Amino acid sequence: MTPQPPDDEALIAALRLASGNDPVPEHVSAAARAAFALRLPGAAMARPVAVPAPSGVRSAERARLIRFDAGDLVLDLEIDPADGLLDLAGQLLPHPGPDARVEIRTPRLTESRALSPAGRFAVTGLPPGWFSVVCHRPGRSPVATVWTRIRP
Amino acid sequence: MIDRHTIDAVLAGDQAAWDAMVKRLSPLVWSAVRAYGLGAADAADAAQGAWLRLVEHLPGIRDPERIGSWMFTTARREASLLRRRNQDERLVPEPVEPDDRVDAGHAHADPALAVLTADEGRRLWRTVESMHEPCRSLLRLMAQAPDAGVRQLAGRLGMPTGSYGPTRGRCLDRLRAMLAPEGMP
Repeated sequence: MTPQPPDDEALIAALRLASGNDPVPEHVSAAARAAFALRLPGAAMARPVAVPAPSGVRSAERARLIRFDAGDLVLDLEIDPADGLLDLAGQLLPHPGPDARVEIRTPRLTESRALSPAGRFAVTGLPPGWFSVVCHRPGRSPVATVWTRIRP
Repeated sequence: MIDRHTIDAVLAGDQAAWDAMVKRLSPLVWSAVRAYGLGAADAADAAQGAWLRLVEHLPGIRDPERIGSWMFTTARREASLLRRRNQDERLVPEPVEPDDRVDAGHAHADPALAVLTADEGRRLWRTVESMHEPCRSLLRLMAQAPDAGVRQLAGRLGMPTGSYGPTRGRCLDRLRAMLAPEGMP
């Protein structure tokens, strides 16, 4: 296999890396070290899938919908920015059971929620940035959405 | 780049081994995201995304040799998405679909991976030093002043602001050609 020639960004990265003039900020390294605590061995991954867009709706609507699919579990997540923060409202289908609970994780904080009988949960005032939703099901492996970034 | 022993320890949950891996790969990840012209906060965001991806893909690691290349590619993708989204003011969820496995990398000619060894870094800069002006000065300045804006860079090079981008593009083209292995088009 013939390697592709490096693109501009790869060359720029190499030049900067070799010159050593752009050291990694300590808070960036610290965040990378802390990310290890977020691992979930054995978790099934819920991946984003396309959802049919409501007809005639464009970016005028504030809220956005993402659907994550883990095969035996689907999570619909509505994201609504409010005052620079984010409100999340989700629904898990089929309902993962009465003892299931949901964690909404960001690199800095984790919010835990019980599910309504309809499989719904909500969390308000999340900081924009990376998040993942994890569903813990007693006796079964947890399901985690891939890390997803949202900005207000 | 990362040895099997370190990977085994990381997979077993050893924070110290993870920290060692972060220390080894952080400069690569940072240079990858910064190459997209992102400011400090956005670059930090993209770098964090790459590390979170590695955390979620840890069970897929089989080939330690591939981690550097996978992280470089992943960091570049996060940075590229962020740069694109910055030009779009709407709220944009970014459910990127990462490669399934850490081993799924391709054969890369990425010089950034090569320059993790000091010899290759020196070789790269010897090539730059052998270039004609304005390329030699431009590439030197670009590397030395990662936070400088186009206007500032152009001013220091004595060229109109509008010329910096196209000139940089030509210099990178020239460098790319000089770095190409013998016999490559």
